[in-house]
Amino acid sequence: MVFLQAEMSWNVLISPTQLSPKGLLLRKAIIVRLLEDIANRKASKDHGYYIAVNELKAISEGKVRELTGDVLFPVTFTCITQKPMKGEILVGSVDKILKHGVFLKSGPIESIFMSEKTMNDYKYIGGENPMFMNAHSKLEKDTAVRFKVMGFRWMEADRQFQLLATLAGDYLGPL
Amino acid sequence: MSGEEEENAAELKIGEEFLKAKCLMNCEVAIILEHKYEQIQHMSDGDPASQVSQVFEKSLQYVKRFSRYKNPDAVRQVRETLSRYGLAEFELCTLGNLCPDTSGEAFALVPSLRSGGRFEGDAGNDKIEKMLNDLSLIKKFE
Repeated sequence: MVFLQAEMSWNVLISPTQLSPKGLLLRKAIIVRLLEDIANRKASKDHGYYIAVNELKAISEGKVRELTGDVLFPVTFTCITQKPMKGEILVGSVDKILKHGVFLKSGPIESIFMSEKTMNDYKYIGGENPMFMNAHSKLEKDTAVRFKVMGFRWMEADRQFQLLATLAGDYLGPL
Repeated sequence: MSGEEEENAAELKIGEEFLKAKCLMNCEVAIILEHKYEQIQHMSDGDPASQVSQVFEKSLQYVKRFSRYKNPDAVRQVRETLSRYGLAEFELCTLGNLCPDTSGEAFALVPSLRSGGRFEGDAGNDKIEKMLNDLSLIKKFE
């Protein structure tokens, strides 16, 4: 999983109640609001998951919104992000084991499916603690697995990515 | 189901902005996120876990679990070592994260290493082996 530190811009909206005569509080209000906005946004199709805001680079002049009286501050900042890439090798942990495949989680990505068709020599073993087993290793809940990203899509409704994983390849599988 | 047209990390076709952006390894992100978590702990009286987003928490858990190097000096050394081999940021971080043991594994996990004529033939293999050796030495003396 490769994390990127990217520079980006955002418009922070400050309501007039937060505008105090003391200029120092304004900067803090902008930072707090930015952190809240980014945390709520979670992820976007272009940038991927927003992990953490790093540094506030610049705050431009505020513009007053005529109708509401809020002030809009365009800001630029650096942010740590993570975006899945096709063909990338990732490490994740097993979340759920089903007959037709395995659900994995990896960092902020919660929805990764690996079909049993890509797990050629593994056999499904059901029961109270289901698992996939082959001659040398097994996959059960919480096992760390190295897999390749076959493809992914952005789900606007949930604001998250859904990944398709494969175990077909050299040096892939449980760690 | 796919990303943008033609995008493929194996061939390092990952979009211009990502090629130019600075990449961070798990161990580097672990240090940054832990520091931020402490900052939030100091700034607020309540439980910091309720102040950070789910994305932050899951990422922190993940990078703590899958960082090979914990000591900040070791992390710095890893980046310095890998920087000497003419790698793209994306390749550097993938190698630093996955820590392959052999050059064969390295080429399998980061196929774009084969392009650009940087690591060709036996000399290329030896270069990769030396790089991986240096990384495991850093781990030994962490």
